[in-house]
Amino acid sequence: MIAVVLDGLVQGMQLALLGVGITMVYGLGGVLNLAHGQLAVIAAVAAALLLEAGLAPAAAAALGALGAGAAGVLADRTLLLPAYRRRGEERLLLALILTLGLAFAVDGFLAYRYPSVALTLRLATGAVVIAGIPVRTASLAASAMALGAFGALALFLRYTLVGKAVRSIIQNETGASLCGIDVARTRTLIVGLSGLLAGLAAVAQAFFSNVGPEMGPEFTVLALIVAVVGGVRSLSGTVAAGLLLGLVNAVSSYYVGTYLTWILLLLAALLTLLVRPEGLLASWT
Amino acid sequence: MARWSAGGLVPLAATGAVLAALPWVVGTGIYSLRITTLMLIQITYAVAFNIVFGHTKQLFLCVGALAGSSAYLSVILVRDLRLAPAVAIGLGTLAAGALGALLSYVAARRGLGVIFVGIVTLVVSLIFQNLLLGLRRYTNGETGIVTQGLGVGLAGAATAGYYVFLAVLLAALCLYRWLIAGRPGLAFGALSEDELTAELAGIDVTRYKVLAAAIGAGLIGLTGALFADFNGFISPSVFSLAHVDIVVLIALLLGGVRTLLGPVVGGAAFALIDELVRPFGQATVLAYGVLLIVLFLAFRQGLVPTLRRKVRVPLP
Repeated sequence: MIAVVLDGLVQGMQLALLGVGITMVYGLGGVLNLAHGQLAVIAAVAAALLLEAGLAPAAAAALGALGAGAAGVLADRTLLLPAYRRRGEERLLLALILTLGLAFAVDGFLAYRYPSVALTLRLATGAVVIAGIPVRTASLAASAMALGAFGALALFLRYTLVGKAVRSIIQNETGASLCGIDVARTRTLIVGLSGLLAGLAAVAQAFFSNVGPEMGPEFTVLALIVAVVGGVRSLSGTVAAGLLLGLVNAVSSYYVGTYLTWILLLLAALLTLLVRPEGLLASWT
Repeated sequence: MARWSAGGLVPLAATGAVLAALPWVVGTGIYSLRITTLMLIQITYAVAFNIVFGHTKQLFLCVGALAGSSAYLSVILVRDLRLAPAVAIGLGTLAAGALGALLSYVAARRGLGVIFVGIVTLVVSLIFQNLLLGLRRYTNGETGIVTQGLGVGLAGAATAGYYVFLAVLLAALCLYRWLIAGRPGLAFGALSEDELTAELAGIDVTRYKVLAAAIGAGLIGLTGALFADFNGFISPSVFSLAHVDIVVLIALLLGGVRTLLGPVVGGAAFALIDELVRPFGQATVLAYGVLLIVLFLAFRQGLVPTLRRKVRVPLP
């Protein structure tokens, strides 16, 4: 049971890594990025290709995650520009369709060009014993990465000037731009950052299983569920939702099987949307 | 208001005549008949989606799930309960209509915006796909069900099958015209402009949204159940987002939202494009994605409204 809970928490951190990206981009840009999981897959495929080319695993993984960040920046500076010219619901709708198109384009391209490339990162040692509980080194590595990323993100948002600008835009885009904040540039930064986090999530997943080009939709859906349950505008809510859903996921796949777990997660998102559209855990911020 | 003036019937009759003659133009071989029949099915989906999304701004990203639920339900009813195929198809249609109405009602009552309706229906689609995989005892999971002998027998009858779907499409177009030219059309126009103002003007917004969703979803369900029979087999993937929803979205955007002929023109154009990219295998998904982006960015008007402006023919 302890092992299952531990597994759940580790998975939860990965889910939170995925979800935070969607939340930040939605909160800041008013864009629901349906190609978020595809950014993660870009990182995995890029890292796998770099590994094949003979790079060290750590360097390949880092470059892969950076590649996902770069892909995010590129999408923001090109594809999403027409959406940013609109406001409110119209921007959301246009961006939704555009990122849906991007998701299909990336999925199709990767499945066509790199059908059999997949990222797997094997660690040298299998497991270590901490306080009497055997813990997989993969779990340790994945959680260390996630915690490091969250810590850095929290410090960045709280203490740097750019972080303050980000928070001010989330509160009020027009007001922030009147205060002299370069909204477009901050937005690009955040979309890049969300891609980087998605890339990290894919790298963390590669400690446990193969991450191939077909996993984009799954990543997107997981990220969407986490963001919805956490409240699409609340960062700490998203992290809490990631941990919660990770636990639910682990416990329920252990006891009732995978497909029911998926339905359970999806129902959680559905009910949250219908009962509290602002997010189940949103009030925590 | 003259719903059935002679001028209004000309485009319907012309569409019917062109589509009725189509098998003789592209050939009555098994392959070309299959392609053209699938085109009719997609066009019918698009007509229904046009009512729901185009006219009442409810972004239903669950066309495949609605079609699939009706298809699976009717097939399973015939297989396990030995119902008559026609009755089962009717029940499947009703179930899809009811599901659509329920989604619309809940969304309208909760005051969900376009995007949230989109997410809710997307999640419903995913739940549907997972249910198909999970309820293996009834659905055979990913393997799917062979529907030969479980329907009204469209699978064998190639030319007759085409005309059955043509009849359904023409009925859908008549229904569309009847809705839009009448009182519901006025209400749709008002509520998609501004819901609050429409409500203040005495329009029951929830009722008209649910009406549109029920009719659209029922039409999708009918087409889906007939498709199950025609296709000879159903599986989760033939009702997936990539195979149904994205195609319908592209066809409607390509042809022109909120027009009678938009879905027809868009569906036909899409079928043509799809034939052209078919040799590239997996890259078709790439082509769909790029197409969706380009259409939504550069060509938001669609073919029919563009033709209206360029040729100055008052196309409906």
